[in-house]
Amino acid sequence: MKDFDEIYQRLEAIKAPGLLSADRPREGDPEDKTDKGRAGEAFVLIEPAAAKEFLIAVRDDAELAFDILADLTATDPDTEDENFWLNLHLLSLGHGHRLAIKAMVPKADPVVPSMVDAHMAAHFHERECAEMFGITFEGNPDPRNILLPDDWEGHPLRKDYEFPKEYHGISCE
Amino acid sequence: MPILQNSFEENVLTTKVDWLLNWARLSSIWPMTFGLACCAIEMMAVGAAHHDIDRFGAGAFRATPRQADLMIVAGTVNFKMGERVKRLYDQMPSPKYVIAMGACATGGGPYYKYGYTVMKGVDRIVPVDVYIAGCPPRPEALLEGLMKLQDKIRNTSVIRKPSRTA
Repeated sequence: MKDFDEIYQRLEAIKAPGLLSADRPREGDPEDKTDKGRAGEAFVLIEPAAAKEFLIAVRDDAELAFDILADLTATDPDTEDENFWLNLHLLSLGHGHRLAIKAMVPKADPVVPSMVDAHMAAHFHERECAEMFGITFEGNPDPRNILLPDDWEGHPLRKDYEFPKEYHGISCE
Repeated sequence: MPILQNSFEENVLTTKVDWLLNWARLSSIWPMTFGLACCAIEMMAVGAAHHDIDRFGAGAFRATPRQADLMIVAGTVNFKMGERVKRLYDQMPSPKYVIAMGACATGGGPYYKYGYTVMKGVDRIVPVDVYIAGCPPRPEALLEGLMKLQDKIRNTSVIRKPSRTA
């Protein structure tokens, strides 16, 4: 079982594709009131275009062996923000360690290669992510909606989503 | 020998057609086996031994809308499911009744404001006879709703009164 720093060292050692940086929670600056620090867990930042290769590399490396994709989802942090966050959580059943991954997907062109080839578990997660955020996962074998009707307009978990006024003649007011 | 045995054989019972038909109808309201969310769990409790909806003749949950008289909409109706609910209702033979069970089926419930896919009341697609409040309603509340529906059926008339102008 490795902690985050050991995992990050190993990621650098095997030159994991698309690895950008590590982001750790930190204390705020007591002098500067605008700097509140960051809570939460440590994560690594990766290139979204190389996400599939990254997952395959950390899955097949014997020391890391992240064989479970525990979660794949996205976040729309703010209407002003230019990016969606693509969030992935990995778990190694053999070693018992976990890793949180984040990738910045530009809102102007939200296209990410599908990760189904690395983890089959990504399939439904990608489909839900696609309908809720409008992120296209290129190469997903069955990119239909899961939850919303097929003709639903808009992506409900986007911050700038506007609620429908009616659906098939049924008022939503 | 029981006292009633053979005592009706050559007798005539008088009653009103309305009374007889309504009595038959309200004593055998067969609901459809059909639940959408947590209200359905309470509906199952009503069907089980402790509350026993069969006491009111409504315990025969039919597995097809074509044999059902009553649709208990037990749970959240979203737009995707609403179309299915409408289709099931259309397949039921008349006379047919609808009970909107719980806050969601009555008016959207806790999803009223931010539930973008939740229909704000099942009465937007099917006509509702009885609304039951609660989130979810107690089994007794569903039984009372059923009895209200029985009262409603009891007061209907199948006989057309002669028109005064004719």
